[in-house]
Amino acid sequence: MLSFIAKRLLSGILLLLVVTSGTFFLAHLAVGDPTPGLLGNSATAAQQDALRAKIGYDRPLLVQFWDWLTHAAAADFGTSWRSFQPVNDQLVQRVPVTLSVVVFATLLSAVIGVAVGIVCGLRPGGMLDRTLKLASVVLFALPGFWISLVLVTWFAINLKWFPAIGYVSPDQSVSGWLSSITLPSVSLALGAIVMVAEQLRNGFLQVTNQDFVRTLRARGLSGRRVTTHVLRNASPAALTVLALMFVGLLGGAIVVEIVFNLPGIGSLTQSASQIGDIPVLLGLTAVTVVFVVIVNFLLDLLLGWVNPKVRDR
Amino acid sequence: MTRNRTAALVAAVAAAATALAGCTSSGGGGGGNAPAAAGDELKAGVFLDVTSWDPANADIGFDGPYLSAVYDPLVALDKDGKPVPALASSWEWSADRLTLTAKLRTGVTFEDGQKFDATAAVANIQHLKAGVRSGQAYLNVADAAAKDPETLEIRLSKRDDALLYQMGLGRSWMASPAAITAGSLATDPVGSGPYKYDKGASAPQSQYVFSKKTDHWDAGTYPFPSVKLFPITDQTASFNAMLSGQLNLQFANAANLAKAKESGWNISQKAASWVGVQFADRTGAQVKALGDQRVRQAISYAFDSAGILKAVGNDSGTVTNQVFSVDGQVYDKSMNDKYKTDMAKAKQLLSDAGYPDGFSVKMPMSPIFAAWQPAANQTFGELGIKVEWQDMAMPDYQKNAPTYPMFLAVIALAGNDMATLTDQVTTAQWYNPNPAVDAFPEIKALVDQVEKAEPGQPQTDLLKQLNTKLVDQAWWAPWYQANNTYFSVKGITVTPVTGMMFPTLRFIQRG
Repeated sequence: MLSFIAKRLLSGILLLLVVTSGTFFLAHLAVGDPTPGLLGNSATAAQQDALRAKIGYDRPLLVQFWDWLTHAAAADFGTSWRSFQPVNDQLVQRVPVTLSVVVFATLLSAVIGVAVGIVCGLRPGGMLDRTLKLASVVLFALPGFWISLVLVTWFAINLKWFPAIGYVSPDQSVSGWLSSITLPSVSLALGAIVMVAEQLRNGFLQVTNQDFVRTLRARGLSGRRVTTHVLRNASPAALTVLALMFVGLLGGAIVVEIVFNLPGIGSLTQSASQIGDIPVLLGLTAVTVVFVVIVNFLLDLLLGWVNPKVRDR
Repeated sequence: MTRNRTAALVAAVAAAATALAGCTSSGGGGGGNAPAAAGDELKAGVFLDVTSWDPANADIGFDGPYLSAVYDPLVALDKDGKPVPALASSWEWSADRLTLTAKLRTGVTFEDGQKFDATAAVANIQHLKAGVRSGQAYLNVADAAAKDPETLEIRLSKRDDALLYQMGLGRSWMASPAAITAGSLATDPVGSGPYKYDKGASAPQSQYVFSKKTDHWDAGTYPFPSVKLFPITDQTASFNAMLSGQLNLQFANAANLAKAKESGWNISQKAASWVGVQFADRTGAQVKALGDQRVRQAISYAFDSAGILKAVGNDSGTVTNQVFSVDGQVYDKSMNDKYKTDMAKAKQLLSDAGYPDGFSVKMPMSPIFAAWQPAANQTFGELGIKVEWQDMAMPDYQKNAPTYPMFLAVIALAGNDMATLTDQVTTAQWYNPNPAVDAFPEIKALVDQVEKAEPGQPQTDLLKQLNTKLVDQAWWAPWYQANNTYFSVKGITVTPVTGMMFPTLRFIQRG
């Protein structure tokens, strides 16, 4: 188990290094000289030179990279080229917003998706199963922003149950926090629920037809215990989908953050890209990769727990 | 100036948001609600986040409401763009108009306890003059001095009849000299303004909370005990927040006018920017054809400006070929028919200029200008002008557009006609990289006369002559002047001011 964890940790660190290094050079290539974007076009050449010196952009690229890398290794992502505030401070403000929405959306997807998947797997062709098939077609066909707008129109504008925009920190109000993340999370979760349910339902049907299930039934195990065995064997595909969903939702959060005006990492990525604030972009990339690594690591642990054969691979 | 970047962004996003707005409008329900009433709190959706709390690095465009909460200006503007007293209670110009002497208000202190006086004002003027963004307003200011604690003297190296307007527009916010020295203004504003910034209750880039100082010297001008400002770039999100009651004032998309009327809201609109083709190469240095007045006129004749305003600009604006604000004294409505759409005449002019088969030109393109690209493509195509569009992101557009012979532009209007002359004609800007006034003797002579004329009617009369000449020369090819639109609930009124993308707080009142 220890070697399993060490391997995953090592590959995670390697991934982090490769992705952030690639982003560093690609961002510099794409942005070019950031000073016009940061200062506006009325800045004089002297003002632009001063800013280049202040942010260290006048140094050779490899020196900049090494400086960034050594600081990033100590979890110091430098200072924003626009606000001159530590990137870490911005991440501390922004990451909880996106994480709140994405984690809540993932939980909704897991709980509802698994419940629906089991029921549909137990009663294929039933009313819920047919509804799931229809929902999967409809929800995949509809763009996410449209679903968000419909939810806002119904639940924020007409019924006034939830706010149309904004984020409330749990420090300020737990109920306000829940209220502010509900609609964005539901918007993100709808597609994911259907996908998890479909995977689980299909896996359930496949496993139900296997010989060991017939044997379990023949030995007189209760329906509930048989279902537990079937679920354990059918769940790897759904778990993988759920983990992929989490990563996908991190990326998809940008649309939801715009529609609900949430101050998360999606909108920060957008604004940092527009003005060429490379330290912020790199900090965001690093954080995102860390989340991807953590989720994949947890997925591997979960799969190993569900199916011990995986641990030996 | 940088406010033109925001003008471009605003206009493009407004155009792009039209389709989305349709979703919310038809979503219904909101209109069935009783019109929200104004409470004690102003909750405004401001489109863009504050650029910087440091007045020297702030943008004029959308920073006005934020900065006007925490800072007092030396000079303010009235609704017509006329400079009015603020921390400077009065002023007078020397006979040669090279020295401005201002009497300062007494008894004003900054939030850190420092006193506002002439020494503090001098420190601010020097800071603003050196500022990356504010410096452009002080190009002609040589220095500033404190004659006595209540008297400020600003000396100019060259006469500048737009200086007071620029100061009132958002270039004379006074900050504590100690905070200027400490270099901490960018994140921690220290001013003497009508509201106190509640940093603890605010979430930067999401919402900013302010509470009123009841002992402020001009407290009567600011009716709201508390103010919340929300930067919301997505206009559908902003409109939804209005419908749900989370906002009681928003920077609006004109596409939602019908729904706003149905909701019983107050609606304010005013000209804010001009939209059209900017000629950066009027001398023909890059593309010889553009140096010929007939070619520029041909381009002006070719476009269906009214059609573009309707299709892309939500019909919210005024079709015109002038860049002097339609609400100003120089604008001449009777000239608007000069380049009435006439493709045959456009082709004839092009042929007369020696280009019967058109010519080739490269133009920059950015996603925020994409809404106008099909119209431009079609028109240039009909005219025989072969355009090679070169795609780039918006910051690159600003950086590179000046290197192209012409480009599509959305450029902020000035609410002062002398400022229009400076911004659009005589001074090099990113959107006007080669003023080249000297290459046009008739224009140059008129500019000289205007700059030497007595302010008031004599100057305005000369500006009108200059405007006529500029239109005749097809100095630019504007299609229309686009309005900015604001929705507010009953009980709150907004008075838009040309030059400010979002008015400062003194223009938001009960009513």
